[in-house]
Amino acid sequence: MECCDVLSPQEERLKEEMLGRGAKFEKGRERVFSILKGFQMQRPRIDIERAKYFTESMRQTEGQHLTLRWAKALKNIAEKMTVYIDDHQLIVGRSGQPGRYGILYPELDGDFLDMAVQQLSTRTQSPFDIAAKDAQVVIDEIAPYWKGKTFHEALAVALPEETARYTFNPEDPLMSRFIVNETSSFRSSLQWVHDYEKALKKGFKRLRSEAEERLQGLDPFSPVDNVEKKPFLEAIITLCDAIVIWAKRHSRLAAEMAVTENNPRRKAELLEIARICDKVPEQPAETFHEAMQSQWFVQMFSRIEQKTGTIISNGRMDQYLYPYFKKDVEEGRITEERVIELMECMWVAMAQFLDLYISPAGGAINEGYAHWEAVTIGGQTKNGYDATNELSYLFLQSKREFPTHYPDLAARVHTRSPERYLAEIAETIKEGSGFPKLINDEEIVPLLLSKGATFEEALDYAVSGCAEARMPNRDTYTSGCAYINFAAALEMTLYSGKMKKYGDEQIGMQTGDPRSFQTWEEFYNAYLAHQTDYIKQAFIQQHHIIRLRAQHFAVPLGSALHDLCMESCLDLHQPKIPGGIDMGYFEFIGYGTVVDSLSAIKKLVFEEKKLTMSELLYALQNNFEGKEDVRQLLMNVPCYGNNDPYADSIGKALDRAALEFTHKYSKELGVHLDLRLVPFTSHVPFGKVVSATPNGRKAWTPLSDGSSASQGSDKNGPTAVLLSNFTTKNLDYRERAARLLNIKFTPKCVAGEEGTDKLVSFIRTWCDLKLWHVQFNIINKQTLISAQKNPEKYRGLIVRIAGYSAYFVDLSPDLQNDLIARTGHDQL
Amino acid sequence: MKNSGSVFNIQKYSVHDGPGIRTVVFLKGCPLRCRWCSNPESQKPQPQLAYNRNKCLTLEHCVRCLEVCTAGAIKSGEGNRVQIDRETCSECLLCTKACPPLALNPYGETMTVDQVIRKVEEDSAFYSRSGGGMTLGGGEPLHQPEFAIDLLREARRRRLNTAMETCGFCRWEDLQTAAGYLQTLLYDIKSMDAEKHKAFTGVSNELILENLNRVREALPKLSILVRTPIVPGFNDSVEDVRAILQHIQGLPNVRFEALDYHRMGKPKYEYLGLEFPMGDQMLEAERIKQIRALIRSEFPHLCAPSSTEKGQSRKSAAGRQT
Repeated sequence: MECCDVLSPQEERLKEEMLGRGAKFEKGRERVFSILKGFQMQRPRIDIERAKYFTESMRQTEGQHLTLRWAKALKNIAEKMTVYIDDHQLIVGRSGQPGRYGILYPELDGDFLDMAVQQLSTRTQSPFDIAAKDAQVVIDEIAPYWKGKTFHEALAVALPEETARYTFNPEDPLMSRFIVNETSSFRSSLQWVHDYEKALKKGFKRLRSEAEERLQGLDPFSPVDNVEKKPFLEAIITLCDAIVIWAKRHSRLAAEMAVTENNPRRKAELLEIARICDKVPEQPAETFHEAMQSQWFVQMFSRIEQKTGTIISNGRMDQYLYPYFKKDVEEGRITEERVIELMECMWVAMAQFLDLYISPAGGAINEGYAHWEAVTIGGQTKNGYDATNELSYLFLQSKREFPTHYPDLAARVHTRSPERYLAEIAETIKEGSGFPKLINDEEIVPLLLSKGATFEEALDYAVSGCAEARMPNRDTYTSGCAYINFAAALEMTLYSGKMKKYGDEQIGMQTGDPRSFQTWEEFYNAYLAHQTDYIKQAFIQQHHIIRLRAQHFAVPLGSALHDLCMESCLDLHQPKIPGGIDMGYFEFIGYGTVVDSLSAIKKLVFEEKKLTMSELLYALQNNFEGKEDVRQLLMNVPCYGNNDPYADSIGKALDRAALEFTHKYSKELGVHLDLRLVPFTSHVPFGKVVSATPNGRKAWTPLSDGSSASQGSDKNGPTAVLLSNFTTKNLDYRERAARLLNIKFTPKCVAGEEGTDKLVSFIRTWCDLKLWHVQFNIINKQTLISAQKNPEKYRGLIVRIAGYSAYFVDLSPDLQNDLIARTGHDQL
Repeated sequence: MKNSGSVFNIQKYSVHDGPGIRTVVFLKGCPLRCRWCSNPESQKPQPQLAYNRNKCLTLEHCVRCLEVCTAGAIKSGEGNRVQIDRETCSECLLCTKACPPLALNPYGETMTVDQVIRKVEEDSAFYSRSGGGMTLGGGEPLHQPEFAIDLLREARRRRLNTAMETCGFCRWEDLQTAAGYLQTLLYDIKSMDAEKHKAFTGVSNELILENLNRVREALPKLSILVRTPIVPGFNDSVEDVRAILQHIQGLPNVRFEALDYHRMGKPKYEYLGLEFPMGDQMLEAERIKQIRALIRSEFPHLCAPSSTEKGQSRKSAAGRQT
């Protein structure tokens, strides 16, 4: 209600910091703040040890079973890599030198690593430093071995010429076309989640002895057992040894450090670290601290094992850690403060490991140093009850109180999620950093069931990467999938298979001069022909990728933790694992851009005839130079994101056409390649190859992101955004994967308890509508200033003004200033 | 049954005008002429031409409006932007259909009850979770009494939660009928001083105060929120506000909310070719503080739950340590 406005917790924090009282937020958090301050402003460095020892071992094992080679390489790394224990840290284990660092995966990009290391420190996006002597090792020892052996070289040779044209620059297969991009060559696998619970409960000693038993039980006369299963099981045994060796080296180091440590408190901590690292992950964890350390060793060793897309996710931490937490609390061994401290020790460790992309395409798709090692909380238990517990709330509390971007907190929501849970989620969202993202059980569980999961498996899914769902013992699919630029398909419809970016090259099909089209149907069918052709190319890519991947990558650790891999003695990278459900996707990039463009053409060219196709093409070819009136006409047609059936019916038809294709053909691939609308930051580089589009978007600017509306075209408020998202889905098909949705609010829209309540009901409705994902941005003063400078980008921004809400851009400049000033006033 | 009426806006996701997530249907036409009115487009019942010169592409780049204007009311103004000659303009609104950037825009359109309700029902999924629904606003909804009552009746028939904002200056019979279909009534009391009231709104406050008493008596269970815009130079003193609070404190099931004056409606005056009567006057922060203190200390039982207080209780529920 009216009366005094409330400062958001974030604003309170800013205010306090501005007044020089920021230290109070560090109170009780001195440890993690000291660690944080130690690396915060640091330029990231490359550590080459992983690459060096990996290559060293791979050189010596050629010809052997790939999983076994990988395990031996991991053991070589575990024995030789430098181990570190950071000052103040309670959770130990790094895969590289102190500070912010990235590591190299020469199995992905070894053939051009020598060139890359010389450029990494000078590139503009996400630069990394590397020591001169390390660079020399890369050039002399590492890169030469991998030339001719990497996955992407094999893929470039394998792709048929037609498909390659959409994928790479014909002159240089390292340069992506950003039309139908493959993403399998700059990471070894898609996002993934391990069954951490298994590691914590059993320990690697038991996993090792189980593998040994299996080894003893093999049929000594069977060729399959001898050639495939035996080396696989040996690989698992070697892997179990490797991770234990690595952990125990930390134990010894901690014990050594304790000897010379003068501070008695730290000395005790080091001795405790020594004890724990001697025990886990070899033995089952018994306390919360042991469980956290064991989990960290597993995820850290997994990072050493391979480059998993967006970095290996953390699974349902509030679930598998809960028994340890509960036992410690009941036995008086731990306080909530200590639990949070241990969590935050892990967050600051995560923050130091950067997801380094060497290839230009990888770097562009994951701009900045972004990584998404999702931590899942809430949701339902395996037997369908609400799963929220005290630990779920502590994760949320940590996210509110400790300002880092790690981990990527994902909250599962279902129709019976408790009020307190949603209220605390809303309070956390109101902090303004966009966490947690919400993932909807009501959409995901039925979809997993429809693909063959049991209830138990489906209800126990974990969020993986930025919006995916994984069932760690049932999912088996790991290839990177196609990112398809459908705005380029639209451009090819306008220019009969050509794109301004690529000049006269005939890349796509010749669908004819659109000026000769008499009806909307003709134009639409021409677009659809391109859309279908793109998906076809993506599926051809994927067919090759699935085959080649198994020859290049292996994951003994990932396989050791997977029931089905262990049952069949097959590496998780093998194309077909009995009992597995393979779930991949193909990405629809530029959904809003395409829908709005088609809506504009349909309405203005074919129905109202306010524009001719020639006028439209002229304006587009000139990037609207001198044709602002045409651009404005185009921008003011019904757009996706406004719950307007005119635009949404087009969106639904495009969605359906894509689903029909995959419904028919993904069976041949043995994989559920589902339609996904999740962009990372890829809508930016994909926009850079697309000239002006008929939705008024200027050439080379970003496309719409995920399943969100085009920038600023959602003018009917947030309820319409959700409803458009809902109505453009084809609920009668199961071939759908994640749809990512970003929604912006101003802090005042959600201020106070009333704001929290309304945000909660908004989330409840989102859940009722069975939308896959939503993430909120609570926008601040700085954004209002940007909105004033670039009003077009912020057409949908709603600001709360005393007593009512208005669109910020509709306000006159002086009132905008007034509002900006008032926001500033609120902060002070 | 009045099947259609004049509507100038349907605002989705309104969270400040009644419980839950609501859709506000703004009806056009008002008997008052409040000097501070933030919705000047709501005053006249007929559709009107709005013109935002900042959006005009200039006549150098676009002459689409000139081509359709039969009255010759579109001229070249400052910076070669369009200028509307309001004297000759017939408000046929043809130019609004031709203008690409929507610099020329109509305020108001005729809609049927069915059209309005269908639009409101689009957000049903949000009402069911938040306890929200439809709010009639304006203008003054009861300036189109039959249309307003039909909208409310139909909304109730479809089990939508209903609220209405009123200035109270209406026929008692209309208010009585409308209130019968309401779950929340948002009732403006601007001043207890009849003279001042007339000077600043164009009408006296007698009918308004009488209607409030009558509706309270006739429908004792209806939840009423009395709202007072605090306007500089009009009622921004502790005495003015105290007089209002004293008047309503004896009425059962009534709460009170003070709304700060703002100038956010000012651009709309410019779009309509009107002067903003309040000019650059602003509220004094000190006075608002005093008024809020008065409400809290002397009339706590009338206080609509303050977000500050409840916000803090939520904080402790969230286990925050500050």
